[in-house]
Amino acid sequence: MIKGLLKKDLYNLSSYKASIIIIVLFCGIAIVGTEAINWGPIIICTIVGMIALSTFNYDEIAKSNKYILALPTNRKEIVKEKYILAIGAVILGGILGILLTIIVANAINYFRPENMININYESLLTTTIGGMWGVSLIQAIQIPSIYKWGAEKGRIQMFVLLFALIVIGAGIGFLIAQANFSIDMEVLIEFINKFGLILLVALMIVMYYVSYKISYKIYKNKEE
Amino acid sequence: MENNIELKNVSKSYKGFTLKNISFNVPQGSIVGLIGENGAGKTTTIKSILNITNAEGSVTIFGKDSKKAEKEIKNDIGVVLDDSFLSDYLTAKHVNSIMKDVYKTWNEGKYINLLKQFDLPKDKLIKDFSSGMKMKLKIATAIAHNPKLLILDEPTSGLDPVVRNEILDMLRKYIEEDETRSILLSTHITSDLEHISDYIVFIEKGKMVFDLPTNELLENYGIIKCSKEDFSRLDEKDYIKYKKEKYQYEVLTSNKDTIRRKYNITTIDKPSIEDIMLFYIKGER
Repeated sequence: MIKGLLKKDLYNLSSYKASIIIIVLFCGIAIVGTEAINWGPIIICTIVGMIALSTFNYDEIAKSNKYILALPTNRKEIVKEKYILAIGAVILGGILGILLTIIVANAINYFRPENMININYESLLTTTIGGMWGVSLIQAIQIPSIYKWGAEKGRIQMFVLLFALIVIGAGIGFLIAQANFSIDMEVLIEFINKFGLILLVALMIVMYYVSYKISYKIYKNKEE
Repeated sequence: MENNIELKNVSKSYKGFTLKNISFNVPQGSIVGLIGENGAGKTTTIKSILNITNAEGSVTIFGKDSKKAEKEIKNDIGVVLDDSFLSDYLTAKHVNSIMKDVYKTWNEGKYINLLKQFDLPKDKLIKDFSSGMKMKLKIATAIAHNPKLLILDEPTSGLDPVVRNEILDMLRKYIEEDETRSILLSTHITSDLEHISDYIVFIEKGKMVFDLPTNELLENYGIIKCSKEDFSRLDEKDYIKYKKEKYQYEVLTSNKDTIRRKYNITTIDKPSIEDIMLFYIKGER
């Protein structure tokens, strides 16, 4: 059944085909113009990740949720499918972004050998995963918000929640600074270099898991 | 006779509306019409049966608890909901591809034949369909996996008489193909039910008014047209509701033969389901 639901959303998203191609071309041009190759994956990942969530709008406009609940499925599968789609979009966005960056950078180097761009693959991977993490955070907040308040209101509530998180984060940072902790920066940088990526990926998994649990709890009791 | 649906004391409360103790059965081989005004509770009843809304009471479908065996049961149900379907940005071809992975028994050949029979284009976006075409697509999607039970919420509302007849014909054929099948059909166009339904369940303001065989309703019920004097002779037990018109009284009875014998009244009209419904809603007691 999840496969059927995924197909439904992918067919709906196919109307974005032209937009995605234009965005990818635009990103390519931006990379050529600015040579800021690390931004490509972040931008593409963000756009693809956000487009995936627009399937909630299609469902809301057609009032599809009621009909879907009448099909041989249950609320758990319906929520699960949305997360599979969201996570898939983030991964696809990351891969597309890396591929586009490599293709564009190599194309520039081919046509303009006098001013070569050196691709730092490690740095490219780090920024891509960083970008994916950012999109995951937004999705992890946005999906339960949509289940709670609907596709339109949920977007506004998501920004409120995101802002609240930033304020809390900044508050914690401020308190740490006030507490005068002595942090050995060298140790910290070494730790980040060693475990940063693993930590980011682990955090992404935890965020999605917690978000899924919250979404299911909301949707389980929601009246359609 | 086995029942495909058994509802016992189904209740559901919303802000400003309560569906209270709805109980009825949908026997195999029969079409049950669910009637009532807009907002009477027909859609809430259907949503409770399909577990779309969390209602109290017991719903048994094919002899199984509708909540415990939800997925298994729904594989054998075809559903048409008045205001809800897949997105308008899909095509009939997309619907086929999706449903192949939704229903275990999806019959692609049957679906394509139904599209041809209904003259529905495969590659046109649903948003460009007329309301009649959309309803035909919903029905084709609901029956293409050969379900044992069809649940239809207002399948003929907003359609012209030609399309309505086509749909009713198709429902008749569907039930004739297999005697274990049944249909629960909610509508406020009661004339549709007079020709195809076997039972009528009438809901008013969230409460069940009656659950009767259509034949019994159409043959035993009558509208007595009488003077004030004749009306005053009637025992309250012998009629259901009355309406005071300009020159006469109109009285609804559920036993017109008794009225004829007991009061020697001969002017008793055969009511339509709509007449009966209107008496219950607007009549006095």
